[in-house]
Amino acid sequence: MILTPEVLTLCILNILFAFFAIIAFVLSVKIFLQWDLNATTQKQYLLEKQSFLAATIIKYIFAIKVPLFLFFIFTLDKISHVLTGAMCAAGVVDATQYGTYLLILKVINLYIFAYWLMLHRADMQDENQPYTKRKFGLFIAAFFLFIAEVVLEGIMFSAIDVDKMVSCCGSLYSSSATSYVSNIFRIDTEVLLFVFYGNFVLIGLFYLLKNKYLFALSNLSFIVSGVITLIAFFGMYIYQLPTHHCPFCFLQNDYYYVGYLIYFLLFIGTFSGIGAGLLPASNTSRNIGYKISLLFNGLYVLLLSLYPLFFYIKNGVWL
Amino acid sequence: MKNKTWLQSVLNIYLIEYALSAILRQKYKNFFILSIFTFLTFLLASVFFITNSIKYELESTLEALPQIIVQKIKAGRQDDMDVSAVDEILSIAGVSDAVARVWGYYYFQNAGVNFTLVGVDEYENQYKNSLEKIVQKFDFNNEENIPSMIVGQGVKENMSRNYYKQYFNFIKSEGTLKKVNIAGVFDADTQLESNDMIVMSKDEVREIFDIQQTKATDIVVKVVNPEEINTIASKIRLMYPECRVITNQDLQVSYQNIFDYKSGIFLALFIVCLFTFFMIVYDKASGLSSEEKREIGILKAIGWRVDDVLKEKFYESFILSFFAYVLGIGFAFAFVYIFQAPLLRNVFIGYSELKTSFELPFVFDTQTLFLVFFLSVPIYVAATILPSWKVATLEADEVIR
Amino acid sequence: MIELIDVTKIYEVNKKESVRALSHINLKIKEGELVILKGSSGSGKSTILSLIAALSKPTSGEVLVDTKKISKLPDNFSSEYRRDNIGFVFQKYNLIPNLSVKENILLPLVPLNLDAQSMHQMSESVMQRFHIEHKQDVLVRNLSGGEQQRAAIARANINNPKIILADEPTANLDEKLSLHFIEMLRELKASNKTIVIATHDPLFFGLDFVDREIQVHNGSLVL
Ligand SMILES: Nc1ncnc2c1ncn2[C@@H]1O[C@H](COP(=O)(O)OP(=O)(O)OP(=O)(O)O)[C@@H](O)[C@H]1O
Ligand SMILES: [Mg+2]
Repeated sequence: MILTPEVLTLCILNILFAFFAIIAFVLSVKIFLQWDLNATTQKQYLLEKQSFLAATIIKYIFAIKVPLFLFFIFTLDKISHVLTGAMCAAGVVDATQYGTYLLILKVINLYIFAYWLMLHRADMQDENQPYTKRKFGLFIAAFFLFIAEVVLEGIMFSAIDVDKMVSCCGSLYSSSATSYVSNIFRIDTEVLLFVFYGNFVLIGLFYLLKNKYLFALSNLSFIVSGVITLIAFFGMYIYQLPTHHCPFCFLQNDYYYVGYLIYFLLFIGTFSGIGAGLLPASNTSRNIGYKISLLFNGLYVLLLSLYPLFFYIKNGVWL
Repeated sequence: MKNKTWLQSVLNIYLIEYALSAILRQKYKNFFILSIFTFLTFLLASVFFITNSIKYELESTLEALPQIIVQKIKAGRQDDMDVSAVDEILSIAGVSDAVARVWGYYYFQNAGVNFTLVGVDEYENQYKNSLEKIVQKFDFNNEENIPSMIVGQGVKENMSRNYYKQYFNFIKSEGTLKKVNIAGVFDADTQLESNDMIVMSKDEVREIFDIQQTKATDIVVKVVNPEEINTIASKIRLMYPECRVITNQDLQVSYQNIFDYKSGIFLALFIVCLFTFFMIVYDKASGLSSEEKREIGILKAIGWRVDDVLKEKFYESFILSFFAYVLGIGFAFAFVYIFQAPLLRNVFIGYSELKTSFELPFVFDTQTLFLVFFLSVPIYVAATILPSWKVATLEADEVIR
Repeated sequence: MIELIDVTKIYEVNKKESVRALSHINLKIKEGELVILKGSSGSGKSTILSLIAALSKPTSGEVLVDTKKISKLPDNFSSEYRRDNIGFVFQKYNLIPNLSVKENILLPLVPLNLDAQSMHQMSESVMQRFHIEHKQDVLVRNLSGGEQQRAAIARANINNPKIILADEPTANLDEKLSLHFIEMLRELKASNKTIVIATHDPLFFGLDFVDREIQVHNGSLVL
């Protein structure tokens, strides 16, 4: 159990979110089941009003969730000073069996909430509100994921044992580690880089073909290949150490917080790519989505590629 | 309409302006909320600032703390230790140094405070870097016959307040006086550690406290590898069963525990306050006067959308709560670092009555600002969601009739 | 232009009680037409106006404006429709008393986030047109009834609407000011706006520039 003011703050906000999310959930279920835009009954008018409340609550939660996610990472970094052995957030994530799942769940929820907002916008721009049922249906699913996140976060913090030694990121993200993370180090560097750059080329190709489903799919796979290549290959060059691969350390001051930029680019790039593929939208706004996705994914590839390039120019060798 | 900058398309200045004027039109109500909210953020920020400062002080003190201390216990109380034990401890493998310390608390009756008297020996290794510096800088035997001492800033102030400017008269344990010159004042890295400290030669301290030449107050031990502290401590325990052996980890944990306990209680109280506040805001915001309702009705009738009204209400609550947040932080800064947090600091520094006072060092931590932000603004905004939605979806037709 | 097809409006006061304000009304108003709705108190005149303004929704039937079905617009869109097409002069003027004349007149434009220059131009031109610019910085609560009236009309015209609705515009004015209002009305009519006025003030009856007078009685139109 660890109860620093930061953890307590996260818990308070989570309880608040959960309270509001339950209200939004109940309304969503009602709207999902009873929505009928053509009806002129009092009930339908009431539902139309309540849809505003539900949407406002969801927007509120998302608006706080994004900065709170950064705060969460900050908090993990801070806790890592208290835990013996941990150097950065990675050690805290690994300190309990829930950490990794919680982190993945948090990221998934961010994508879902962002997708929900885009759907909501498309819905509100049309007089017939064609996606109302769909968006509140989506929230019903998102609600359970969200509650799972809140519960898991509580469990994780209460499971952290201050006196137990944890692993540091240097040993977690290395080829000698026993966890499933270490599997990615078994992949050949050539294969890895081929997949990474190949995936980006595919995104460009599907942009030219204007195939929205393939575009979304290639973006989805780019999240995975992007992160794995970052850990297995580019990380070494960011740290300029052949043994250091941690995906958290470069979020810290010593690396000029570059990690936040890296993940921001990847998130915006892939999210708008997936959104452009899956969101109902006019051709012009879909085109904007394609372009944003291409731009940000491109910047991600460029930024990461520059690290080994500069390293090579400076030292004349590859790691 | 076409030449909008990016900022303009994101922020609607006119809506913000309207929100501001709406806040000002409800002067009394909003002033009431602002005062409570400012006070709450002020309180919260002050506590975090104080704890940050003390933590910083403690950490620096603990870092300077010896790894192992050996004390002799007799009849349940600490007693003087034989200096000869130093050589025996030095023979344990892994021990890099052992120093016999001669020190004690001297109660200065006129001022009602305790000084810490520390004896040093020029030719000996010092157990602390700060002492090493002092020994190198000052010469204790510059004047024959009259001994001298170096004092901390707090000691100096206390003495001169009682007209001891050049020297000080210690009362020895048999009752006679001993005059010691004040040779200098030192600034230490941290104040908690050394503000009340007096450094002089070991012989002087022995004389004042009546300690025999073969005895010392305690022995501090330095260890080569910090991982071995516990094993070496237990070896010493075996050698001297009559002694108490304390490691710096023991101290660290006990300090930290007292500390977390106090801020924990505070936070629990704070949460109660926060939820009370939440209810007050909810109540204030939902108890709309018919005039306010009519206003929203008019806005909707002339073409404001529900979303526009919600946005305006959000601006209102954000402006109000953010303003309170900034005010609270500002007041807390002044309160803690300029006025040294009267009253509140005593909650966190229990022993401040006995010790000479120390200044709270300025520790700037951006994370604390975020922490206070997350505990204030989002909670206020949350409290206004339901009431805002209620007015935004009022039937315009019915309220303006 | 404006078309009410078989419109019925029932207000549900509470679970048991309900008031039938309009029943099966059919009404067509052409572009540029000026129509007077007259009838005793409680006959349903205001209800008709608020249906045309999409301020309330009919219990059954349809309201079309420019062939667009406005009776079933979602809340946000009915507001946009009002903002773009309707200028409403309310019976009690419905100005915000603690704001100045100019601020009140600009209110409909606030959510549009226009640039300062065009906001200024638009407000100047309507304030001049309805002779209120000399009071632009005075708080509305310090205005006389006639000045409030003019401010309200200026506000209704700031977005240059196609349709002007007025509910009992002369109820709080003396005869001189009422005649002044009628002159403004003549000017609006000349600028080819579609105008609907609900009133029982006899001053309006038999005016030369009024196209039609419609009698409302107990929720039905008397033709
Ligand atoms: N919000 C409401 N709830 C219940 N009943 C209402 C409501 N609004 C109007 N009514 C009723 O509907 C009927 C028609 O009202 P309306 O305001 O249209 O009449 P009116 O012709 O404008 O009358 P007046 O000349 O007095 O303004 C009246 O009986 C009124 O009491
Ligand atoms: Mg009426």
